Amino acid sequence: MSTDVAAIGPGAWRVTIDGNATIVWTAVEDGGVWVHTDGRVHYIANEADVRRSRARSGSHDLSAPMPATVRAVLVDVGAQVHTGETVLTLEAMKMELSLRAPSDGTVTAIHCRTGDLVQAGVPLVEIT
Amino acid sequence: MFHRILIANRGEIAVRIIRACRELGIETVAVYSDADASAMHVRLADRAERIGPAAARDSYLSAGAIIDAARRSGAEAVHPGYGFLAENAAFAAACRDASLVFVGPPPDAIAHLGSKTAARRLVAERGVPVVPGEVPAEQSDEAIAAAVARVGLPALIKPSAGGGGIGMRTVLTSESAIEQVRAARRDALAAFGDGTLYVEHLVERPRHVEIQIIGDRQGHVVHLGERECSLQRRHQKVIEESPSVAVNEALRADMGTAAIAAAQAAGYQNAGTVEFLLEQTAHGPRFYFLEMNTRLQVEHPVTEAVYGVDLVHAQIRVAAGQPLDWASGRTPRGHAIEARIYAEDPAQGFLPQAGALRLYREPRGPGIRVDSGFEEGDAVAVHYDPLIAKLIVQAEDRERAILRLRAALAAFPILGVRTNVPYLLAVVEDGAFARGDIDTTWLDRQTEALVALIAAEQPSAAGLAAASQALARAERVPYAGGTADPWTTLGAWRLGS
Repeated sequence: MSTDVAAIGPGAWRVTIDGNATIVWTAVEDGGVWVHTDGRVHYIANEADVRRSRARSGSHDLSAPMPATVRAVLVDVGAQVHTGETVLTLEAMKMELSLRAPSDGTVTAIHCRTGDLVQAGVPLVEIT
Repeated sequence: MFHRILIANRGEIAVRIIRACRELGIETVAVYSDADASAMHVRLADRAERIGPAAARDSYLSAGAIIDAARRSGAEAVHPGYGFLAENAAFAAACRDASLVFVGPPPDAIAHLGSKTAARRLVAERGVPVVPGEVPAEQSDEAIAAAVARVGLPALIKPSAGGGGIGMRTVLTSESAIEQVRAARRDALAAFGDGTLYVEHLVERPRHVEIQIIGDRQGHVVHLGERECSLQRRHQKVIEESPSVAVNEALRADMGTAAIAAAQAAGYQNAGTVEFLLEQTAHGPRFYFLEMNTRLQVEHPVTEAVYGVDLVHAQIRVAAGQPLDWASGRTPRGHAIEARIYAEDPAQGFLPQAGALRLYREPRGPGIRVDSGFEEGDAVAVHYDPLIAKLIVQAEDRERAILRLRAALAAFPILGVRTNVPYLLAVVEDGAFARGDIDTTWLDRQTEALVALIAAEQPSAAGLAAASQALARAERVPYAGGTADPWTTLGAWRLGS
């Protein structure tokens, strides 16, 4: 995986991972950093937390945020997915929830089928 | 036309009114509390007057301080914005007594429409449909419970004074009626100092649809269509749009006629909004008068976008005695949606947040409008409403407006305080919102699931890579107090000496 980070303005970065570019905004505060990507914001308290998260982010397990029914599995094992792409849709509390790929990668495993009732936090799709 | 107007407000609405005045060649006077001495609305105005300490009751709610400021600065008119003193009949009267023009309705109209029961009686006499119910003359607990039985279940007990859902109680079983009456009375007395109650039949899963009206001193009243405001979290509007998917041309005409009748019943002038509940029945849609808001609404920009008007210009012209120039009505075009961006943390029960906006970049592009009272480096204070900005998008149809809203929300980085932007994105990305399949209870039913969805999101690999670089460089985006700007670091100096 090749990652290139280019500063493109005050607090603005273009991050290119395996040829796919994302604009990221950051603001450093109290030793930690605010990070904005595509409308999603996180505050990471320190450099060690950034490293830990980066180590984990090589491989991602997607799981349901609450008990839900699987409405549709939109990818197959081996599929290439891009950041933000919807991988799975769930239904919970009469609402449709979309699980999206947190980074570009390859689907390495799928642990559910359409119609399954799944519990919160149990890995449903693995992306590496 | 006026030479100088004082804006009795702060934040985005003060900024928006200052800009309108500038376009009309009118000088502006900002007012500020100690917490707002360097706020954006103060920076933009031609003059600024201090009106008191940070607490709103001693500054922005102090009618005396504001009228003094208007006199000191030589303003001829006062624009109240929304909130604070905007719907205060005594303030409107005090302006009149001080020979200041209040940019809003006459004090009598505000007073008549301020009481929900009086407003209900007034408009019902003009044939405007109201929710079936009773305003019992006899106000004992037993009499209210008897009214509940006559109105039929499910029923809603409401305080005559106030709003925002405070003191409203739902009665589902006849046994619980007396208990709910007592609870509603306690809440109403505590919140409004007035325990008067009335009873309405509960309209289940209604839409909230409101009609914008404006009237001039010559007696013309026109309507500018509807705004759909059903997306509410705990009775607070979150996303508003125009037109409503539930309103066709015939219904719009009927609701518009009813809104105009309601306004005329109260001798209304200037901009106002008539709120209705809209119910789908087996016999088609039915609407009921809810209340009238005697001011400019937060969500007025969606009407401006679709009807191609400037409501603040119109308010000022009408207040100066000029006739409305839209007497023959306006034709709506396209679709507009507004999302309210607040400094609040969805993960902590939407707790208001305060702090510096260390990075704040508004989205730009065709059909995108941002009304805000903040610039990068400004701080959100703890003392006031945590509204940071209103993002208004406009496009040729609803589907394209939703695409534009989603993209604009995602391209609006605000760092330094938590905001509800991730929550707004989750709402906008929901299938039911896309279909327009919503009612006033929908958001409260979905919020828990939406918040769980946000909480489950991890920073992306790209975000983490940038975070690492940012920390390595310890790059600091300039913010108030930490800059090396020569204008703030230089001492006193003189030109031409």
